[in-house]
Amino acid sequence: MTPTNRRALEFVLDNLVWFMLLAVLLVFSATIPHYFQIGIFANIVEQSSVLGVMAIGLALVIISGHMDLSVESVAALAAMATGILFCSAGIGMGLELSPAWLAVPVSLLASFAVGAAVGALNGYLVVKVKMSAFIVTLAAFIWVRGLVVAVSGGRSAQDLDPAIRWLGIQRLIGVPLTAWIAIACFIAFSFIMAKTRFGRHLIMIGGNEAAAFRAGIKVDRILMLAFVLAGATAALAGWLLAIRTSGATANLGVGMLFNAFAAVVIGGVSLKGGVGALPGVYAGVLLLSSINTAINLMGLPAHYTQVIHGLLVLAAVLLDTAKHSIRQRLA
Amino acid sequence: MKRKLLAIFGVLAVALALLTPAFAQAKGKVYYMVPTLLDEFQTGSVSALEMFLKQVGYEMTTLNADNKTDVQQSQMNDVIALKPAAIILAAVDFNALKPSIEKAMAAGIPVIEFDRQITSTPSAFTSVAGTIEIGYVAAAEVERLLKEKNGAVKGKVLQVLGDPGDPYTLDIQKGFEEKMAAFPDVTIISKPAMQWEASNAGTIVADQMLANPDIDLIFNHAAHLSVAAVAALESAGKQPGDVYVMSSNGAPVGLDLIRKGWMQVEVEQPLYAQAAAVAMFMDKIVAKEEIKPGEYDVLGLKSTVNMEGWGPNIKIPGAAITKDNIDNPAFWGNMKPPSDTVTSVE
Repeated sequence: MTPTNRRALEFVLDNLVWFMLLAVLLVFSATIPHYFQIGIFANIVEQSSVLGVMAIGLALVIISGHMDLSVESVAALAAMATGILFCSAGIGMGLELSPAWLAVPVSLLASFAVGAAVGALNGYLVVKVKMSAFIVTLAAFIWVRGLVVAVSGGRSAQDLDPAIRWLGIQRLIGVPLTAWIAIACFIAFSFIMAKTRFGRHLIMIGGNEAAAFRAGIKVDRILMLAFVLAGATAALAGWLLAIRTSGATANLGVGMLFNAFAAVVIGGVSLKGGVGALPGVYAGVLLLSSINTAINLMGLPAHYTQVIHGLLVLAAVLLDTAKHSIRQRLA
Repeated sequence: MKRKLLAIFGVLAVALALLTPAFAQAKGKVYYMVPTLLDEFQTGSVSALEMFLKQVGYEMTTLNADNKTDVQQSQMNDVIALKPAAIILAAVDFNALKPSIEKAMAAGIPVIEFDRQITSTPSAFTSVAGTIEIGYVAAAEVERLLKEKNGAVKGKVLQVLGDPGDPYTLDIQKGFEEKMAAFPDVTIISKPAMQWEASNAGTIVADQMLANPDIDLIFNHAAHLSVAAVAALESAGKQPGDVYVMSSNGAPVGLDLIRKGWMQVEVEQPLYAQAAAVAMFMDKIVAKEEIKPGEYDVLGLKSTVNMEGWGPNIKIPGAAITKDNIDNPAFWGNMKPPSDTVTSVE
């Protein structure tokens, strides 16, 4: 293989998920009626916002060599907190602030507080008490969802404050502001992971925690921060979810954890830790959203959609596996 | 150390004492097996059943199955061992619970089917609105709304189901499509909102409004799905009434959307009457006395008890809630529990 061909192949492998996304969009556009239109592509970006932000936090913890199963429930709790405080119907308290735009930062801060608190508790139990991240966050996945049901009494809050809801309606270049928030998060966290000491240390810890410790990296502090960030980003995802649905129900976000995991894995993050980059994760999220949209537009009987969804995700992961074996042969 | 342990046990004892009612109700304990507490109808059913059963002298304990069939089966086994006066079952799965019902009935514990009808095995009593019938009522309303909008029963309807693994939504779909088959000029697009999750419904509506901008009406199988559907319509720049929206179950969120003009119809499940009917017949059920077929007045609704192959079955008519009748306090979505007390049927 010539050096030029090799470089080209490595470029393709490095960005395989983006090429997969492009291929999927081309195939769907050519074969599914009504798929090829700006509005649908804007929908795909918009629908990726919640899952995307949730996947960022999850990716950080997985890259560090750990696991956070609580992100879905944390998002639901943050959405419910936003709903209870700023919805005017259902169980919403209809909090009114003056000026009205204050509702945006206040609701966002309330969500962050909820998410960061759960993340800090998870981090403390994993880092300080040395409990398994899988067990700790699995427990959080259950108790936090239970808390959502308990505080809501199973009821829903709706009719979100128009000042907050504005972010879900107002569009910039045809895409809602909520989606731009998600894109901004990906850019910011991609920068943090690639260009800051925290990002580099997180990858090193995920690759070999003991070696990172011996190299003088403050492993505990960085891991703790990763869990807090995972909680906070999950809360941001919940805040976006509340905006998207104009409120919150007790089952809001159910099933998102598995999609977030799928997106992270498709995006090239190794479940063993130490490997992965956030742009790939965003491509994974967009890929899943593209598949979801295709299923929505296809005239399939309702019962088969989950099968199709699962098979398409499996195909995407198989391609990713093929990428790794090609890379090993090249090495 | 000993003091600390004593203090802990003391606190636990006080907590347990607080959790346990001061005395059991005179007529015994009834267990309510609720399928989930993640939707407003189910949480509403817990408080309604508790209220009405208390009025006729029973204490109720609720067990939540979190929409898991195996969990509900285990709960049934546990409750049978406790030998309660009766079990009220809103089954997660209509068929999978059959052996558990048979086991309870064989042990002499009457099982009452609530909200979700099980016809494959006899039970002591069934109180339902009828999911297929909800589909019928919805179809009649779609017929009316399309005639109002298009001058004839023609057009495009987006039907947003709940989770495709839930027989409840499939029965509504069955009833709805059975009646709509009479109108060949109506195209029905059916899509499932996985796990009854609201944002999934919003995604479906957002995509479908682009693929089929001529959709006349959206029929969601639960009111909480309508909230996300309306949010998606609003994001797409639609105004109330541009696309008709309706849903079923009569939850408070649905009624709010009707008041705001976003929704035209909510097909109500008569929650209060369904719960009141159970309480009215509870004495007879527990005493294993005959329940006579015929018409009964349940909170002002004319309801009919029929002797079916699976036992006495009371059907309470569901109603279509529109802007004209929305303030009727009988609709559970108005969250005004009936002030009349229920009395046992003699």
